[in-house]
Amino acid sequence: MTTVALLLLASAVGFAGARALRLPAVPFLILAGLILSRLVPLPEDLVGDALVLGVTVMVFVAGIELNPTRVGRQRKAAFQVGLLQFLLLGLVGGGAAWLLGFDWQTTAYVALALTASSTLVVIRVLQQRGQLFDPVGRMVTGVLLLQDLLVVLLIPVLTRLPDGAGAIGMGVLGTLGLVVLSSVIHRWVAPRLIPRLGRDEEPLLLLVLATLFLFLGLAWFLDLPMVSGAFLAGVALSPFPSGSLIRGQLNSLSDFFSAIFFTALGAFLVLPSMGELAQAVGLAVLVLVLTPPLVTLIAERAGFSARSAIQGGLLLAQTSEFSLVVALQGLVLEQITPGVFSILATVTVVTMIVTPFLATDPVTWRLMKLHPFRKPRIPQDPPRDHILLAGCGSNGISLLEFLVVGPRKVWVVDDDPAVVDQLREAGVPVIRGDVSDSEVLLAAGVKEARVVISTIRRTEDNGPLLDLARGRLALVRTFEGPEADWVEARGGHPISYASAAAESFLTWFRDESDASESDVSESKASESETPRPGTS
Amino acid sequence: MIRDVPILQELAFVILGATAFAFLARLLHIPSIIAYIAAGLLLGPGLGLISVSYGIEIISELGIALLLFVVGLELSLEKIRHVGRVAVVAGIGQVVFTAAGGIAFCLLLGFDAIESIFIAIALTFSSTVVVVKLLDQKGDLGSEYGRIAVGIFLVQDMVVVVALTLLSGLARYEELEGMAVAQILEGVGLAFGGMGILLVAAAVAARWILPPLFAWAASSQETLFIWSLSWCFLFVMGAGALEVSLEIGAFLAGISLAQLPYNHDLRRRVHPLMNFFIAVFFVSLGIQMEFGAVGQIWFPAALLSLFVLIGNPFIFMFIISRMGYGERTSFFTSVTVAQISEFSFIFAALGLSSGLIGEEILSLVGIVGLITIAVSAYMILYNRGLYNVVRRLGILKVFRADPEGDGDGAAFRRSEHVIVVGMNSMGREIVESLRREGLEVVAVDTDPTKFAGMDEPVILGNAEYLSVVEEAGIQDARLLVSALRIEDANRLLAYRCREVGTPCAIHAFDAEMAQDLRRLDVAFLIDSREEGLIRVAEALQEGGVLQS
Repeated sequence: MTTVALLLLASAVGFAGARALRLPAVPFLILAGLILSRLVPLPEDLVGDALVLGVTVMVFVAGIELNPTRVGRQRKAAFQVGLLQFLLLGLVGGGAAWLLGFDWQTTAYVALALTASSTLVVIRVLQQRGQLFDPVGRMVTGVLLLQDLLVVLLIPVLTRLPDGAGAIGMGVLGTLGLVVLSSVIHRWVAPRLIPRLGRDEEPLLLLVLATLFLFLGLAWFLDLPMVSGAFLAGVALSPFPSGSLIRGQLNSLSDFFSAIFFTALGAFLVLPSMGELAQAVGLAVLVLVLTPPLVTLIAERAGFSARSAIQGGLLLAQTSEFSLVVALQGLVLEQITPGVFSILATVTVVTMIVTPFLATDPVTWRLMKLHPFRKPRIPQDPPRDHILLAGCGSNGISLLEFLVVGPRKVWVVDDDPAVVDQLREAGVPVIRGDVSDSEVLLAAGVKEARVVISTIRRTEDNGPLLDLARGRLALVRTFEGPEADWVEARGGHPISYASAAAESFLTWFRDESDASESDVSESKASESETPRPGTS
Repeated sequence: MIRDVPILQELAFVILGATAFAFLARLLHIPSIIAYIAAGLLLGPGLGLISVSYGIEIISELGIALLLFVVGLELSLEKIRHVGRVAVVAGIGQVVFTAAGGIAFCLLLGFDAIESIFIAIALTFSSTVVVVKLLDQKGDLGSEYGRIAVGIFLVQDMVVVVALTLLSGLARYEELEGMAVAQILEGVGLAFGGMGILLVAAAVAARWILPPLFAWAASSQETLFIWSLSWCFLFVMGAGALEVSLEIGAFLAGISLAQLPYNHDLRRRVHPLMNFFIAVFFVSLGIQMEFGAVGQIWFPAALLSLFVLIGNPFIFMFIISRMGYGERTSFFTSVTVAQISEFSFIFAALGLSSGLIGEEILSLVGIVGLITIAVSAYMILYNRGLYNVVRRLGILKVFRADPEGDGDGAAFRRSEHVIVVGMNSMGREIVESLRREGLEVVAVDTDPTKFAGMDEPVILGNAEYLSVVEEAGIQDARLLVSALRIEDANRLLAYRCREVGTPCAIHAFDAEMAQDLRRLDVAFLIDSREEGLIRVAEALQEGGVLQS
């Protein structure tokens, strides 16, 4: 009990540090655990138990979150980016490990550990920036989910490499068996069973945990790593509405066991030697430097604008909690040394801490300036006295149809290739580029426009547009109050989407209430049943 | 991980067993506690599959700590102060009467003096964990009888500490050659002193330390949650160091957080974790039961069970009604003590290991425990029905307690109100407009700062939790509106509304969501993008831009 209490107290300190510095919590939890173990000797077996339980629950929850609907229309792009990043980083990481003098087995572990980016860190950054449901946010989410899946499926192969092809084959077969069972439950059992228990929280929780332990038992029986069983158990329970219904029950278990896991990991860590530290720094730099251009290249090929692609690359430039899972697996099986484990943990801590500093707008813009092919096509006949629509999207087509029948020409700037193609086919003048890129805006005649309209989601990306359009009527989409103040301070005219939406809802609500009241009076006259207000 | 992971193997048996029995119990309307103990009986004494390892013990202790922590979060120093007097009087009074009565009864049944003392002590204490779990399940922790029961059990916990101190002092009497009395007094003094220190620490923290600290972390739910658990375990560690029970430590930690605005939300979040650990506790209780000599002592065990099931409540009812509480409250409180505690097994095990009692006494305690926990679980869960039956039989007249009105006062249930989830600009505007029109609106958000300047009712919590939407009254609401820009939460809300037949209006902030939401029969899709663009068009008209 004291050990658990100390680990939890250390994690509380870790969270405090992360909160104070506004950085991801994971590296601070690891550091807190490391410091704790230096101050107070902790029983190894209990720390080991904490690690085992922690990683099992963490990976289980990761499986539950594997929901492709969150990726939306970016599935193809996410698949391309995720797979290629995985393969290329794995190859380069493996090559680097080989050059650093590691044996082939360690090289394989390092390669796999370097391929995955951190779901915990990146999703948090996306949420804080309100970009989770942007195209780049969805693409990045898809990449993370794919990488988690690939890592978990490859762990059984990795651990059996020394045993030869036969053992690997058995591992693959066993994993496939679990995948099939997981798919069956995912498709037919969970969607029927879980919603039936939706309101009975205690049996629901037990059923969820029983599923986890059933898969763990099967993994044990098939001589597969526990993490494979845990992850596939989570995947089995992930479809909507099951995954959503159980998330509430699992949030607290997940938070508790994740905190314990990372702190226990830190307590478990052996401080790297100077040589190992240098190796860790080298590998961290490799991840930080290589990932952005790699992802940028692939994402642009998949149709993203330069800015979004670079943003995606910067967001994915770190190793993952799954890298730690891979390393822990190798350490426990004695296939890697404690020194290598420390190296991989250090790489993870360093790259996770750097991510929030790296994945920012100023860094993105600096890298954009280095991009060789970002110059927009300058139109031969630049527009004047026109309406400039910055950010059209599929929703904006209705506005466009309204505007094009007017007397003024409409020019559009958008970075979505599907929208750009659609507009070109319709004969609408469009420049494919980033709305926050001054050169693109100048090419679109922002200084000569009669009015500028920006419908992009992130209000703060309108800085260059508002500066260039000063003195003109600039209508800018906003949602929250502070966004409107920001726009007004820069001479723009905020259009509150929140207010517009609220008004449309209130109109509907009043109409429905009035309709319901007149139904009531009619029914009082004719003694018939009335529908409830607000029912369509 | 490595092939053989003992903690996972043990937990697998425990969880799979608990789940199987829990579902069976659900079909047969049997309380879950009984199901868990039955699972433990099968796994332990039945099939001999597992014994209670150190890992399982720790998880069980965590469960007990979290359970009492949840109780503390539910109550407050204010609420508990009112029941202090009755808790002390009834708690101690019942111990004295049951111990005395128990000894006499055991002597009558033919047990010798030492055995009678052990059995009587075992019968005296009731199970905090069983009762609090059941009260929590019923949602009666905050009721008057719930608070009195909690107060009584905490007092009994202190008595247990004193009794254990006495016991260890007595055991070392010869060794210490008369210094035992001083040692015992020292031990008792330390226990009470320790309790005092923890109380002061809880009060000081509640007033000066916790509010600013937690306000700083309020925007991060995860940080808040981990901090509150750490606070609980800090007190548990402190309680251990001061020789006070972990239950009291955890309870005081909860009490000190109870006055913060996040206590309900914290309670909601701790609950699933607590449920998991407590299930493990009850299964481990079943695993540890010993029935080696059951054939010899089943009859006295049955009689002693009746003594606990009827005698304990009787004594309690007598004391509490004398202190001026109404008949109903007295009855409900009394029924909570109709079982023996997990400490009883510890006592009996101590007695066996020190050679003072035989194995048959241990088995006797096990059977009494099983019977009384099982029956009292029913008695507590169906206390209202039981009260009506007993009252009709006229048995309660002997206590001459004051009659009370029926019902605890019907719990307040809203209906025909509107629930608005997500206090962003849109959510706030909707709430304010609807309230101006005289409608009752419940506002829900996870961030307490978003409620600044808003009137009640507001609920701080994550709308993905069933308990949050139930607290908001989703079943009886006229409409649920979600202004959130979180896809998963919106889909879940739409789903829940469909399940209970409440119409909903959901923010479809992304074109991709609209199709999913239509499939969930959403009454109205709030398309902020479309509406925003209409406003843009209107602004252009007004600005004369669309004229040449």
